[in-house]
Amino acid sequence: MERKRSTRRHRRYRRPWLKKCREFFRQFIAFLFSNVGIIGLVVGYTIAGSFIFMTIEGKHIPKMKLEVRNNRSLYATRLWNITMKLNSQVMNKEEYMKTMAEELFKYQQVIVNFTRRGYDGTDDDYSAQWSFAGAFLYSLTVITTIGYGNIFPHTPVGKITTIVYAIIGMPLFLLYLSNIGDIMARSFKWVYANCCLCRWCPGVARRRALRKVRREQKLGMDSESGSDGSRGSSEASSESVEINIPIELPGVRDSLGSEALTAYSDEAYENVSVPVTICLAIMVGYICGGALLFCKWEEHWSFLDASYFCFISLSTIGFGDLVPGDKIYGRGTDFYKDVLEVSFVFCSIYLMLGMALIAMCFNLMQEEVIHKIRTTIDTIKYILGCNR
Amino acid sequence: MSRYRTETENLDYEKTSACTNFLHYSWKTITCLFSHITLVSMVVSYCVLGAFTFEALEVNNEKQVKRGIPRIRENVTQHLWNFTQELNALEEANFTRGAKRYLRSFENALLDAMTKDGWDGIEDEHKVQWTLTGSLFYSIIVITTIGYGHIAPKTTWGKVVTIFYAILGIPLMLLCLSNIGDIMATSFRFLYWRVCCYVCTKKPKKMKRSKSVRSGIRSDGSKFSRSRNASVRRSVRTSTKSADSGFAFSDIGPASHSDTELRYDDHPNRGVSLPRTRSYNKSQRASGNATPRKISQVNHSTPNHVYPQRGYSLDRKRATKDVEIELDPISLDNSSILCNRYVIGKNDGFAKKIPGKGITLRQQEIQNRANSMPADRRAKSMPRTPNYLEPPRISSPDEEEEVEKRGSRRSRSPMRKHKLPNRPSPSPRMMTPLGYGYKSKYLDDSDSDQDYDYYEDSYETGRTRIKPVPIWLCVFLVVGYILAGAYLFKTWENWEYLDAAYFCFITLTTIGFGDLVPAKGVSQDGYYATISIALCSLYLLFGISLLAMSFNLVQEEVISNVKSVAKTLGIIKSESDDEDDDG
Repeated sequence: MERKRSTRRHRRYRRPWLKKCREFFRQFIAFLFSNVGIIGLVVGYTIAGSFIFMTIEGKHIPKMKLEVRNNRSLYATRLWNITMKLNSQVMNKEEYMKTMAEELFKYQQVIVNFTRRGYDGTDDDYSAQWSFAGAFLYSLTVITTIGYGNIFPHTPVGKITTIVYAIIGMPLFLLYLSNIGDIMARSFKWVYANCCLCRWCPGVARRRALRKVRREQKLGMDSESGSDGSRGSSEASSESVEINIPIELPGVRDSLGSEALTAYSDEAYENVSVPVTICLAIMVGYICGGALLFCKWEEHWSFLDASYFCFISLSTIGFGDLVPGDKIYGRGTDFYKDVLEVSFVFCSIYLMLGMALIAMCFNLMQEEVIHKIRTTIDTIKYILGCNR
Repeated sequence: MSRYRTETENLDYEKTSACTNFLHYSWKTITCLFSHITLVSMVVSYCVLGAFTFEALEVNNEKQVKRGIPRIRENVTQHLWNFTQELNALEEANFTRGAKRYLRSFENALLDAMTKDGWDGIEDEHKVQWTLTGSLFYSIIVITTIGYGHIAPKTTWGKVVTIFYAILGIPLMLLCLSNIGDIMATSFRFLYWRVCCYVCTKKPKKMKRSKSVRSGIRSDGSKFSRSRNASVRRSVRTSTKSADSGFAFSDIGPASHSDTELRYDDHPNRGVSLPRTRSYNKSQRASGNATPRKISQVNHSTPNHVYPQRGYSLDRKRATKDVEIELDPISLDNSSILCNRYVIGKNDGFAKKIPGKGITLRQQEIQNRANSMPADRRAKSMPRTPNYLEPPRISSPDEEEEVEKRGSRRSRSPMRKHKLPNRPSPSPRMMTPLGYGYKSKYLDDSDSDQDYDYYEDSYETGRTRIKPVPIWLCVFLVVGYILAGAYLFKTWENWEYLDAAYFCFITLTTIGFGDLVPAKGVSQDGYYATISIALCSLYLLFGISLLAMSFNLVQEEVISNVKSVAKTLGIIKSESDDEDDDG
């Protein structure tokens, strides 16, 4: 929007540049929202977000760490005082243990409170949570609505920024999902059509197309002959009807024009319906593959833990009870090392790609499932209608 | 479930033959309500089932973790004692240094217990998180994909069950929420136009002539598209009526037919977008575009198919025809405007095909548009013919003309494919609240016709036509809901106002960080926690369906707005989602 406004401003002052500017901005925006640009846009938005959150939230945690440290020395001196007090009398183990335990219980509650407020247990001054990698993953979890919650904003400014950031970012990510999911769905269909159904061999394709056209014709005859249940079957095949009808009707007159056929096989891959099982297999495979890599990276994770993490992430539930550890949320002080950390990059890519993949699979499955449900219902209707 | 519904429908068939329309529609309402209630109760029972399962799976583990905490403390105390004994001379600096080290390790142990084992910070074994209410809340959190993570399964079986529970539950929840959102959208729109804008939707004189019984529901569409509504409504009404009175069997009359088909037709476009399909169908999703076509179809099919077969007297037939012809120019006018407004660039050919507003061109235009109707819809109308006991239409000369035209269109289509930016239309957005709006139509589709017959007749036909409720109202509604929720939680949980608003936002967008969770750590009083959790779940369930509703309401208008913006920017249909979802 801002760019649009700026073009307008340009228009007012610099007449001769008007066309050039407009053309340039138009192309730029068109590129940004194109398939390639959207990836860059999302990544850029996330990076911008990570810098924003780094600056906003970076200061908060050290203060809390200071508090924790002060608290610790306070309790250490208290323990010392108790020891001294008890030492003045005869040192009694039971009594000592009892008072110590009481004191430790108090300390425990303090620590619990700190943890609830976001203390992560690290002791150095450097705000490890809001390192670049951490902030990047935070931004990513916000716009994908995963929301692990292992790091979250503490300052009021950070909270407001998060809200605004999410309002802009989520539609952007949805756009990314739909774009990429669509591309993937189409290319997957193409691959499926060409490889698995052997559309490349011309003979097979032709035969298949012929068969299909014939089936359509027969179906048309059926429906014209006027049985009540024909509606269901015609709807079941309606997915392909829109392509086939233009062929079918000429076919009625000049007995399957070859022109129509070639056109048909040209467009055919658009209409291939990928079986649900393949989609499911892809999703399961993706989750398992990710799980294998993650359980290699994280020492304490079993395979189940890792696949649980992948599922929870990709379904955007995002509990945050299992979060990739230090290696990914780079705890180092070296900024560039963080950025170039392989596992961190991999994790982000895994999330972004995985959600697009799942969108694709749902994309492919939806049609299938809906058709199946409709056919089933129609069949049931038909059967009951007959029995009645 | 569907079997049962079908049976009731069958009963319905028999009744309608004898009874009035009123009974028929009231019965439909009941079945429709019943199906919604079934869905909701399914979700509720699924949640309860989940609650029992997770409680059984997790509660023992949690108790064990709680039992472990005192042991950790004991350990530290022991260490401290040993440390004190080892020190030869008690010296403050030495002692505090050592004590700090032990305290530090104690801290780490506690942190581990809290983050890895899910300890909630309370040692009392009777106050567990995985109570029945807690587990219920957990189930809701899972299937709405919010995922706070304040309680999470720690046992192996808990994790496995969670995965499968989510796989089944998320689609179910989506279905339920989108249905609720749909109902809410319909009723909200009805309320808005009925109550708030009663003044500006007074009927013009022309409409009073029609004496329609059910005019109230849809005719109050808007001042903008009133005439269109009128014509559609009337033709729909007449056709339904004729169907009802004509054949006892054709309960699903032509009106509902055309509607189901239309909505069904939408769906290949919306699902996997096929670029060449689009060059045919030209974005039926664009609201304005779908409308004129629908009109044309109804107008076209009604006189041609239905009336000649009915045993009506001639004058009546003529009368209805007259009404339609009289209304046609208006609808055509509107449609051409709409075409220009919404669909330019997408289908120039289509827009050009409707040349003007001349009354003499009317018939030709109808013809044109009938031809330019997407092929698949045409295809659908052929299987439909047997219902009206008509001879097959293929042999008619006018059909052949159509075929030729279609052929030419077809040959043209690849060219257009190259011309158009090959940009995919938005595909389904799953698992986001913002996706519910889109989702809803799918899910409606997936259900049988019967559930929605009533809606189709009375509401849903009007839906796409009625000018949507203004965007600002929906935004205002959502913002108001968030602020109200913030106030509620502020008083209930003693949070700050900003915190509460932030919590509401994070919850409703299903991000769900879990840094602020109701009844977490405030006091584990059973009664209080239960009330708080119940309040929160009600709030979020209603809120998500409210989001779905407002998205449902504004999506068409926003899409068209964005499209026009994109048009002025030179990119068409690219950033549609971008602002779409802001609503």
